[in-house]
Amino acid sequence: MNKIPLIIKREYLTRVRKRTFIISTLLFPLLYLALIFGTGYIAEKSKTELHVAVIDSSGTGYFSRAAFEKQNAIDASSVLTLVTDNADSVKAGYKQYGYDGYIVIPPIKWDSPVTDQLFFNANKSYGTGSTSGVETKLNRIWDEVKYENLQLDSTKRSILNNSRLSVRSINLDDKKANAEIAQGIGYACGFLIYFILLIYGSQVMMGVMEEKTNRIAEVIVSSVRPFQMMVGKILGIGLVALTQFLLWIAFVFIIYNVGKFSGSGNGGAATMIVGNIQNMFSSINLPLILFCFAFYFLAGFFFYASLYGAIGSAVNEDMREAQSLSFPITMLVIISIALMSSAIANPTSPIAVWASIIPFSSPIVMMARIPYGVPGTVPWWQLGLSMTFLVLGFIFTTWFAGKIYRTGILMYGKKPTWKELIKWAFRKN
Amino acid sequence: MPLLELHNLKKYFATQKAVDDISLSIEKGSIFGLLGPNGAGKTTLIRMITGIFYPDEGQIVFDGKKFDPIKDVGQIGYMPEERGLYKKMKIGEQTLYLAQLKGLSRSDATKKIKEWFIRFEMESWWNKKVEDLSKGMSQKLQFVTTVLHEPKLIILDEPFSGLDPVNSNLIKEEIYRLAQQGATVIFSTHRMEQVEEICNNIVLVNKGKKILDGTVKAVKQDFKENLFSIGANQLPEGLNGQAPFEIVGSRNQAFVVRIREGNRPNDVLQYLLQQGTEIHSFNEILPSLNDIFIKLVEGTPAARQFQTINS
Repeated sequence: MNKIPLIIKREYLTRVRKRTFIISTLLFPLLYLALIFGTGYIAEKSKTELHVAVIDSSGTGYFSRAAFEKQNAIDASSVLTLVTDNADSVKAGYKQYGYDGYIVIPPIKWDSPVTDQLFFNANKSYGTGSTSGVETKLNRIWDEVKYENLQLDSTKRSILNNSRLSVRSINLDDKKANAEIAQGIGYACGFLIYFILLIYGSQVMMGVMEEKTNRIAEVIVSSVRPFQMMVGKILGIGLVALTQFLLWIAFVFIIYNVGKFSGSGNGGAATMIVGNIQNMFSSINLPLILFCFAFYFLAGFFFYASLYGAIGSAVNEDMREAQSLSFPITMLVIISIALMSSAIANPTSPIAVWASIIPFSSPIVMMARIPYGVPGTVPWWQLGLSMTFLVLGFIFTTWFAGKIYRTGILMYGKKPTWKELIKWAFRKN
Repeated sequence: MPLLELHNLKKYFATQKAVDDISLSIEKGSIFGLLGPNGAGKTTLIRMITGIFYPDEGQIVFDGKKFDPIKDVGQIGYMPEERGLYKKMKIGEQTLYLAQLKGLSRSDATKKIKEWFIRFEMESWWNKKVEDLSKGMSQKLQFVTTVLHEPKLIILDEPFSGLDPVNSNLIKEEIYRLAQQGATVIFSTHRMEQVEEICNNIVLVNKGKKILDGTVKAVKQDFKENLFSIGANQLPEGLNGQAPFEIVGSRNQAFVVRIREGNRPNDVLQYLLQQGTEIHSFNEILPSLNDIFIKLVEGTPAARQFQTINS
């Protein structure tokens, strides 16, 4: 009788029944959204509103308080005030008057075609994130001065400012492809797979370590082959991951439908979001993306989980041993994420193509490229090659890990090195 | 008819000849003691019998047929010395799981577990977790999981460690009962007094080789030193070469004597009676297994040395 289903069942049920599974299933989407919106919000919030005193020592009379106030009214991210005191008294007293710092405008000419360097003097250092707003505002005021002197009226200014040439990529093979949406979906898919590989990979490792340190491993291997034990664990945990993922899809589906239903009555924001989602779905090949996601998610998981399992079998209860031994594997996942960023920016570059075919990085990188369109951006042969290699890859890692596992699970004592692990794997019998 | 036969088993590791050409045969229904100092190769030998390791050379015959680890594993119950259970899993579920891994159906397993739990007064444990159990309690549970599927061969590695005398006896009784019902028990331990009490046959291994094999009785006879204990107030003084024995020492207010070559116990009694010695008792002193064990493995370094294997 085949015992793997029994092992899968145990691994699956003990995990799914745990309170932590239910909590993480509910919390992860919230955390994910919080991460995306939160970082944007914090970045927005952490910009400081600078109060800047501006001293005009150009001696030209170009600048007027009115011009400054006009720009302050348009853009409230900083407040610039033209002061008439000399530099020394401002330097001594700018803090008393509530300024964060001051800028001295040197003697400049409106018609000299050079960039003048100005300095924002303050008692602490500000990054470009804070000073760029001030720079933009000063340049707008300076533009006004130049327009005035060039005698440009509002029509001419408008032509000068707004008449631009913009370039956007259009995919001839796949007209629906929308680069921005593709980029968003690519990021989301890549990061989801990244999280799943790391979280569930380490779950496999911890599970194996638990069996080893609880000393139940020897009892189990007297009933089943170590390989069955490892494969059962990996499949069981893989199913847990899949369950969690399907639950998330179900949440999204419910929220989407609820939004559509409640939005259809009163219009407003909900309708807009639903409309955006509909628009997004119509611009991509959703079934293909879902299928590929499921494939790369499972195959990638098998690829890495067996390696993590092998490491779990080789170490003792010491978590630090496990971390140091699994570092190279974790590094591969992190490198994949780095490659993904480059692949998203340029999905047809050689590095993106190769990273999406080589098994260790393909689950993350290929998923970032697929939303750009198949076969437009990703030709069928690349997708096929990538999938074949990944399947071969996980067959190899499972075999390799099985060999290590068989030796490691009954071995207590010193932590082996990677060199020894490889020796275990290639030893005959 | 033997249940298990090992023919010239060998298993070499990188730095050790863990099992070096061991053959033995274990009769059906016997309780068999597998003895040896630490690192002698007992665990490796057991792991080959349980199908965890494949032997490098040699053959295992189980129940008359060539041993097939995948098929025969359900006929074997193994309680390793390094034992354990899933701490967070409920006891009932866990026992059921382990029984199903041995090939029992769910309903069969449930029925048997209930019987065993009643026998061992563990009915209230079903929904508890292993982490709630004391060491002795989990030991009992481990024993149940080992024998639950009614294996033909039960292998117990130090089954009494950590058990109090009451629970030790409980397990001992179960071992006898299972043997009576036809199960064969291999019992691996360093505790010689338990072996003397429980086992019919023993094998002693050292440095991967078998150095002793036989029934407990025969082994003791082989190693006897013709020592007798004589309970008497006074032994005749001035024993010379004419006496059929010499005094070696005393033990428990009795004299320990060694019978000289060519004499029989009766000669000793006759001699003493002639001298008018009043005798309360006269016993043969057989060596304990402990003495034999120490004698045989003495001189072996306490820790096994690493060696280079050319294979």
